[in-house]
Amino acid sequence: MNELPQQLVNGLLLGSMYGLVAIGYTMVYGIVQLINFAHGEIFMTGGFGALTVWLILPGGTTLWLALPLMIIGAIIVAVTIAVGAERFAYRPLRGGPRLAPLITAIGISLALQQAVWAWYPGATSSLTFPEIPGGPFHFGSVTIQTGDIFLLTAAPLSMAILGYFVMKTRTGRGMQATAQDPDTAKLMGINTDRIIVVAFALGAAFAAIGAVAYGLKYGEVNFRMGFILGLKAFTAAVLGGIGNIYGAMIGGLALGLAETLATAFIADIPGMQQLGGQSWADVWAFVLLILVLLFRPQGLLGERVADRA
Amino acid sequence: MTTQTTTADTPHTTTTDERTGLIALPPHIARATATAGGALTVVSAFLAWTWTPAFPGDLTYYGYPGGLQWLVLIGGALTALFGLASYGIKGTRWLVPAGADSAIKLSALAAFVTAWYTVIAISVQLGGVINLEPGGYVVALATLAALIGALALPFERPQLLPADPEDAGWDQFKHRAGNQWATTKAAFATGPIAPARRLPGYAEILIITAVLALGLTVFTYGIGTEYDELFLGFLMTAGFGFAALNKAGLIARVSLLTARHRNVAMIGAFVAAAAFPFTQSDDQYATIGVNILIFATVALGLNIVVGLAGLLDLGYVAFLGVGAYAAAMVSGSPSSPYDVHLPFWAAILVGAAVSMIFGVLIGAPTLRLRGDYLAIVTLGFGEIFRITVLNLDGTSGPDVTNGSNGISSIPNLNMFGFDFGAVHTIGGFTIGRFANYFFLMLLVTLIVVVVFRRSAESRIGRAWIAIREDETAALAMGINGFRVKLVAFALGATLAGLAGAVQAHVTYTVTPEQYQFAHVVPPNSAFLLAAVVLGGMGTISGPLVGGALLFLIPNKLQFLGDYQLLAFGVALVLLMRFRPEGLIPNRRRQLEFHENEEAPATLTKAGA
Repeated sequence: MNELPQQLVNGLLLGSMYGLVAIGYTMVYGIVQLINFAHGEIFMTGGFGALTVWLILPGGTTLWLALPLMIIGAIIVAVTIAVGAERFAYRPLRGGPRLAPLITAIGISLALQQAVWAWYPGATSSLTFPEIPGGPFHFGSVTIQTGDIFLLTAAPLSMAILGYFVMKTRTGRGMQATAQDPDTAKLMGINTDRIIVVAFALGAAFAAIGAVAYGLKYGEVNFRMGFILGLKAFTAAVLGGIGNIYGAMIGGLALGLAETLATAFIADIPGMQQLGGQSWADVWAFVLLILVLLFRPQGLLGERVADRA
Repeated sequence: MTTQTTTADTPHTTTTDERTGLIALPPHIARATATAGGALTVVSAFLAWTWTPAFPGDLTYYGYPGGLQWLVLIGGALTALFGLASYGIKGTRWLVPAGADSAIKLSALAAFVTAWYTVIAISVQLGGVINLEPGGYVVALATLAALIGALALPFERPQLLPADPEDAGWDQFKHRAGNQWATTKAAFATGPIAPARRLPGYAEILIITAVLALGLTVFTYGIGTEYDELFLGFLMTAGFGFAALNKAGLIARVSLLTARHRNVAMIGAFVAAAAFPFTQSDDQYATIGVNILIFATVALGLNIVVGLAGLLDLGYVAFLGVGAYAAAMVSGSPSSPYDVHLPFWAAILVGAAVSMIFGVLIGAPTLRLRGDYLAIVTLGFGEIFRITVLNLDGTSGPDVTNGSNGISSIPNLNMFGFDFGAVHTIGGFTIGRFANYFFLMLLVTLIVVVVFRRSAESRIGRAWIAIREDETAALAMGINGFRVKLVAFALGATLAGLAGAVQAHVTYTVTPEQYQFAHVVPPNSAFLLAAVVLGGMGTISGPLVGGALLFLIPNKLQFLGDYQLLAFGVALVLLMRFRPEGLIPNRRRQLEFHENEEAPATLTKAGA
């Protein structure tokens, strides 16, 4: 069991990436009660946005210099797509039958995936993402890869900024009000249409940061990376209590830990030798989602009743 | 009866606006041009359009229409017929119970689009208009004349509000575009359908038979189209032609008849479908036929879940996979880890039962919550099913499913001494392997149709619809929401498992790659959902038609290839925005989606 500290760190790192993407799900759901299936793909386009910036920068630019530009590029791409999707695919259907926006979300998700696959040069297979130079860092028995340094700093920082934004700014308080009661919020002079756009944009921005972290962590981006990661991020959002932005981060961390520990240690349980390892990681994450829905559908932090239909 | 007389009867339309067409021509000239253009189109289909047989279909003969010429001929004939009917000529009036003018416009459009597509395709493929024979020019001009005439037919203009001059440029533009769209829509609008004289029962059944025979012919033609151009032309002619018949009111007439003789119509439809293998000389198109049936049947099963109960299931293909794998494992395949060979009836029951168990396992925790949770959990289940099946290969997990190689060499069925793998000769017709399975699958389709119909009209079906419309109100009425939803979900899973058990035998092999969320080959979850949405949620014929179309289009149009899924995603979004009720709308759903548009119409009527 001496690899336990290492696995805990791995789980927390993975989890903070899930958390960054989960914020998008939870914010949009909290305000318009819509699962934005396309969010995973918005995350993916963010990764490609960052890669594009890296590729058009002159060769020889150091990554430290390029990284802020890459983040900005990722955010611009992801936010543009998210806001466009909201404007053209979700807003016209608001107030219509419940199934309609879910189906358009599926359509957008498919279209985005295929558009990147077909039109981004070379995206039919995985594309290499730049790596941060420098060796891994050792702290006792724990090793942290250089690629994870970004995640380690970006995740808490973005959470702090988000917390400040939602709690202290006028728009943030408008978001809280809209989430609580859209009609009353409208009566109080809040432009709820604008608030919804802001929620989509913020979610996309955090997904874009998550995508940059993904690229640095795994050294590649590909057109399918949003699908499973989106599923897991949604699981994280549910786990933390959907609609609760701190819940998203905590759910992400919990899911990351659970997945890493299951992958590493489940094979040690007698009778389950063959069910460990990376190839089962997704399955365990999904089993966790089912268990959470079964026993605590309101999530770890969610005081909101999950069924508000 | 012409539209003019109909409109003259109704008082509220006597407004000051003059009735003109989209193109300014005197009405009688327009009508004559359209009719004559249609007739000339028919004649021109008998001419040679090009000098060389290099263009597929060989359009070089005088007197013998070939390939695309037949399609143009049909479009022209429809235009001419509707044109004659609009003159009120005796014997043609039954063609246009809802007025002829919109039907003329659409059938002229059908002929025009197909003819011009052909002419342009000839010029582009063979390099220049020089390759056209005089017939090519004649058909182009004739269809153009018919279209101009048709568009010049007068119609009742909607009352439009002029744009507010104080608006910003963009708003003015939007307003004007909206007005133009309203005008165009009005140009294709139809009057009320004239009531039909009741025919004796046998005559009505004869009509149904004729319609079904026509349907089979059209469908068989579509499956048998041999080159891309012909299939595209087929889609254009069939699409606009169908719209023309619909505008003429004929579709409504026929659906009234089928509603009156539902059982006859249903049995007739299945007899027509069963006749399909007899129209084929080899097994090539029977393969497509059986795959369409599998896809359409699974889509129909999904329609119970999505269309009736309103539960969005995004991993439906996984239940098909569960059924297929379960049946394959007990089929006596050498690569199955279990050395059992159950008879087919037992295998199909195993497939259905295992699917049902998974349906309950997935449904029970999620159906207590809001519908959105179900969507994402089923999406996850679809993916997890694939990953698990891949992992259970003996190296990264216990050996159950043989990993990515799948379970192969599933033996052919043998029921009552009838070997499904062998070629049989029935009454002089050769029935190959896939045709045998086609009949078997047709039986499964019949089961699913009957289950759909019976359950939709039972107490539980009404409960599903109530839940779909307003869950809170339904619960207040004493419906046990969770139980009713679970029944729908598990029933959908069971039917998919049933189809999966047959599918495993049809394809010889089941592999995890067959059961993905989105993939270029149907069936997969995204295509299934698209088939339901495109066809019409909550109807029986909708998913069948949608499934057939969504299978044929990628199958026939190979050049779409890489962009198929992209086109699909965009099509889903556009469909939900502009025609959420699908091709064959459920009446109730149509009203629900177009509440706002219908309401003012009734109001003005009451106010006038």
